[in-house]
Amino acid sequence: MRMRKALAVVAGAAMALTLAACGSGNGAGGGGDGPFIAIVSKGFQHQFWQAVKKGAEEEAAARGARVTFVGPPTEQDVEDQLNMLTNEMAKQPQAIGFAALDSRAAAPLLQQAKGQNIPVIAFDSGVDSDIPVTTVATDNKAAAAEAAKHMAEKLGGKGKVAMVVHDQTSKSGTDRRDGFREWMRQNAPGITVLDPQYGGGDQLESANITKSIISANPDLAGIYASNEGSAIGVIKGVQESGKQGITTVGFDSGKAQIDAIKNGSMAGAVTQDPIDMGRQLVDAAIKASDGEQLPKTIDTNFYWYDKDNIDDPKIKATLYQ
Amino acid sequence: MTAVKTAGESGFAGVVKSRLQQLLAFASLIVIYAFFSFASPFFFTYGNFTAILFSAVVIGTLAIGTTFVIIAGGIDLSIGTGMALCAVMSGVFLVKLGLPLAVGVPAAILFGGLIGLINGINVALLKIPPFIATLAMMLVAEGLALVLSDSTPIYFNDVEGYVEISTGNLISGVNFPNAVLVLLVVALIAGGLLTKSVLGRYTYSIGSNEEATALSGINVRKWKIAIYAFAGLFIGLAGVMISARLGSAQPATGMGYELQAIAAVVIGGTSLSGGKGSIVGTLIGALIISVLNNGLQIMSIPQEWQNVILGCVILVAVYTDRIRKKEA
Amino acid sequence: MSRPLLEVTGVGKSFPGVRALHDMRLDLRSGEVLALVGENGAGKSTLMKLLSGIHSADSGEFRLRGEPLSVSNPRQALELGISIIHQEFNLVPHLTVAQNIFIGREPRRWRLLLDERRLNTEAGQLLERLRLPLDPKAAVGSLTVANQQMTEIAKALAHDPVVLIMDEPTAALNDAEVETLHGLIRRFVGDGTGAIYISHRMEEIRRIADRVTVIRDGEYMDTLRVSSASTDRIISLMVGRAIDTSAQPANVRADRDVVLEARGLRTTLLTDVGFDLRHGEILGFAGLMGAGRTEVGRALVGADPLTSGSIVLHGEPVRIPNPAVAARHGIGYLSEDRKRFGLLLEQDVKANITLACLRERFATAGFVNDGAARAKAQEYLGTLRIKTPSLDQITKHLSGGNQQKVVIAKWLAKDCDILIFDEPTRGIDVGAKEEIYQLLNELAGRGKSIIMISSELPEILRMAHRVVVMSEGRVTRILSNNEATQENIMHYATLRPDRNAEDAAELGISDVHTGHSRKAGQP
Repeated sequence: MRMRKALAVVAGAAMALTLAACGSGNGAGGGGDGPFIAIVSKGFQHQFWQAVKKGAEEEAAARGARVTFVGPPTEQDVEDQLNMLTNEMAKQPQAIGFAALDSRAAAPLLQQAKGQNIPVIAFDSGVDSDIPVTTVATDNKAAAAEAAKHMAEKLGGKGKVAMVVHDQTSKSGTDRRDGFREWMRQNAPGITVLDPQYGGGDQLESANITKSIISANPDLAGIYASNEGSAIGVIKGVQESGKQGITTVGFDSGKAQIDAIKNGSMAGAVTQDPIDMGRQLVDAAIKASDGEQLPKTIDTNFYWYDKDNIDDPKIKATLYQ
Repeated sequence: MTAVKTAGESGFAGVVKSRLQQLLAFASLIVIYAFFSFASPFFFTYGNFTAILFSAVVIGTLAIGTTFVIIAGGIDLSIGTGMALCAVMSGVFLVKLGLPLAVGVPAAILFGGLIGLINGINVALLKIPPFIATLAMMLVAEGLALVLSDSTPIYFNDVEGYVEISTGNLISGVNFPNAVLVLLVVALIAGGLLTKSVLGRYTYSIGSNEEATALSGINVRKWKIAIYAFAGLFIGLAGVMISARLGSAQPATGMGYELQAIAAVVIGGTSLSGGKGSIVGTLIGALIISVLNNGLQIMSIPQEWQNVILGCVILVAVYTDRIRKKEA
Repeated sequence: MSRPLLEVTGVGKSFPGVRALHDMRLDLRSGEVLALVGENGAGKSTLMKLLSGIHSADSGEFRLRGEPLSVSNPRQALELGISIIHQEFNLVPHLTVAQNIFIGREPRRWRLLLDERRLNTEAGQLLERLRLPLDPKAAVGSLTVANQQMTEIAKALAHDPVVLIMDEPTAALNDAEVETLHGLIRRFVGDGTGAIYISHRMEEIRRIADRVTVIRDGEYMDTLRVSSASTDRIISLMVGRAIDTSAQPANVRADRDVVLEARGLRTTLLTDVGFDLRHGEILGFAGLMGAGRTEVGRALVGADPLTSGSIVLHGEPVRIPNPAVAARHGIGYLSEDRKRFGLLLEQDVKANITLACLRERFATAGFVNDGAARAKAQEYLGTLRIKTPSLDQITKHLSGGNQQKVVIAKWLAKDCDILIFDEPTRGIDVGAKEEIYQLLNELAGRGKSIIMISSELPEILRMAHRVVVMSEGRVTRILSNNEATQENIMHYATLRPDRNAEDAAELGISDVHTGHSRKAGQP
């Protein structure tokens, strides 16, 4: 009697699993008989990663491929990500899309993927390793150049411009700095770009830097901020200094930055396009599984957005709060 | 006498019953394993078998330690971030101070014991409820891990042999990670201590009835401190195992591991009200979580649903425990 | 003759390991007080718990005014008109008398807010009607035990019950207070109401009850008219045999060596407690509920901290800060509440027997020698005649008497010389009781010194070589075996030196702390 009850519970648990499996088995994006692509991202809940997932699933559906998309709950859960990568590899995918939280921790697994002849496509910030066949990421230099172009237009091609950059060592930091500066040097002779200042992406520090730049340069016309944290800092700094008429442009999105653009305290910003990143990632993975040669890097879209086009559905889809 | 007759009936059944939850947990593990084996061609392979064991190591190690605390009627929320702190300490000892492996690793494990000791003192001497005392320790450890590491990962690239503690294979050429061996060995030791040692017996006694144990002339305060400190050693070991696997001490990781470890303990039939439980059960619990995580992902169940199912499994496990108690 | 007010027929109830009630019967008529008597463990409390819906019966039928009665929880019992006063108080000490009386159905304003003024007025009116001299605004925790009992009764009567059931309501009361209570009961019973009065005290039953129902070992024995039944007849029905009044303490001698001396013990509840305990002696502790007997036991083993006083053991002064130290000195305390303070109910018999001595006797290098522990435990099963299917039986499935023996085995295994038994036969059935008595005598015969705290005077008179009588946290008298009689003990147990100057004078106490007695008695 007791044993029967116990068995019933075990059987019940198994049935629940089966139901769950049937009910949601098609949840994996796409369908068809095309290649199976396993994507292990840096995150899952965040809107940015959900947008990447959406793009990947759309592309997979269009191309008859099958994708799965997993990621750890936070960007600190390195071990979770390794377990996820291990599990995805057990499914013998035709290609793996991977955005490493810690490249070195993942090195043995990537080696294993190479041994099994599974091509790895790095995305987002890339993987610090020569195993990935290509890296699908935003071309930060080009995106920064776009910001420079709009800044120059707003200023009418002349004036003094400062830069508040989030990092001087990471590739995203240097690319966003150099892309902006180089475009100005080549296309806007009337604009003077001051030496970049680094705020670590910290809002408070960026705000302090902004205030000291303003007091040192009374004739300042514009400020460029290289990521979300820097942008919020710049907006705050300008506000606190009480100075009017400074044109600011930023990078990425986030609620504070979007609000600032909507109310006019920031002229506009450049955003990456995570949906496009997902699409390009799947496109590259399908090509890699077919044995096609791929370029070392694949650039994904970015957009300039300001008060006028911020509600454009295409733009809206790329922004996160 | 009627009294003795009825007692006799439940006496024989009682022995079977005391093992029932473990049997049940083990049966569930087998059923789940079999289910996934049929459901996916990729699941039932040796490589995936070791992958499942490997991914159970950190949670399993934490869960074994915390089994002692929970059987003694306590709870330890500091094990997750405590683990991160011990990983960072391992980095401090081996990378920053350059101590040899044979010194640095035991030191990191003992540091976990220190965390447990402080928990024990707070609970047993200062009479802070375990939930609060270890919640505070969870925050302290989280902060200290960031401070001591400068909020950046400490890499063990130059520490020869460290990564092998986890990912190496004792028998070269045979894919069986050392981490799994470590888990099995400590489970064996912990199981022996829990059932055969004075510490283990007092763990059960204190969890069953703390006041009666004290009135029986046992220095409950001292033993509670010992239990927390002993459980702390597993925090240290988990810190070593996770940092060896990652090749780095990640200071911000660890939050949430405590809840998974407690889930493993509960699935394994240990009662949160104390007095009952086993290491075998906990090990099975950790494996059930690991198998579920692995199997659901291999079946490409969307990630959102994986947690739903895991939650349901915990409910089923605890519910069967209740049925068992009612029948007892 | 009208139909009974409350009728119980064929009721049975079993718990794991014990058959508590079997084919129980009872009928209460309108306008009467029915006494219900039986030894501890006879099933009185179980019957009360069935009536109040705490447990549900396995079989049988209840009828109230002829209607079938089924009670599923205490609240419903109250609503149906059955008020029960349990032996243990159900009062919230931090709340006032009024708040306790109306707990759960406090008068409200606009449904949400508590109407404290109305609460106090209504409680005051009720207390006046019942002629109880209580302040509705006094916190219950600050009242004497007697007044707490009165509050409990007021709370029960506030529901205007049809049937009032009282379980040992006078355990903590002195004669005057008992008279007040009886007055209350007499005023309560009338046309359409009745009371069931559970008590051990025959003379009280004679004063208040019309009929008496006797139960034994969970079964109905007989119902007698009080006026025509002799006390001996009732008692012999209760215990199932002619009472053996010849049973006397064994081996009473005056020339024993003193083993333990307690001098001037004070805790928050004790005042200047002093006595000697001698080698091979059974020292009885008698007194009313709340007299401080349990507290003496707890203080001796360091479970409650002493604020002053000294303990001399075998001629050496010792300090006992906690039970671990007491155990090291060979002093074991067997709590009145076995389940809470004595046993690991969810663990097996072996674990319980070996708990206290595990480390000294059965451990090497921190590991337990299971074979030796098992052998020793098995030995105690034999010597103490513990009835259990095996050492691996979970302790909660044993009967009360056998659980008590397991606790005794635990302390014998620890090799204690001084054993403090707090209510050693509480909740144990009659046959087992006798065995426990024999066991105590054997232990004393082997040279163990025993302190026996008991609320049952016959037990004290039968077992104790000497009797320490306590009241209000003081030792009021130490009686030798031939001085100890029921009347004598009750006299000293009801002295109230803190409240009554004459009592204080009789005890020769001059520095009493309460202002009341100073005003009345001191020059």
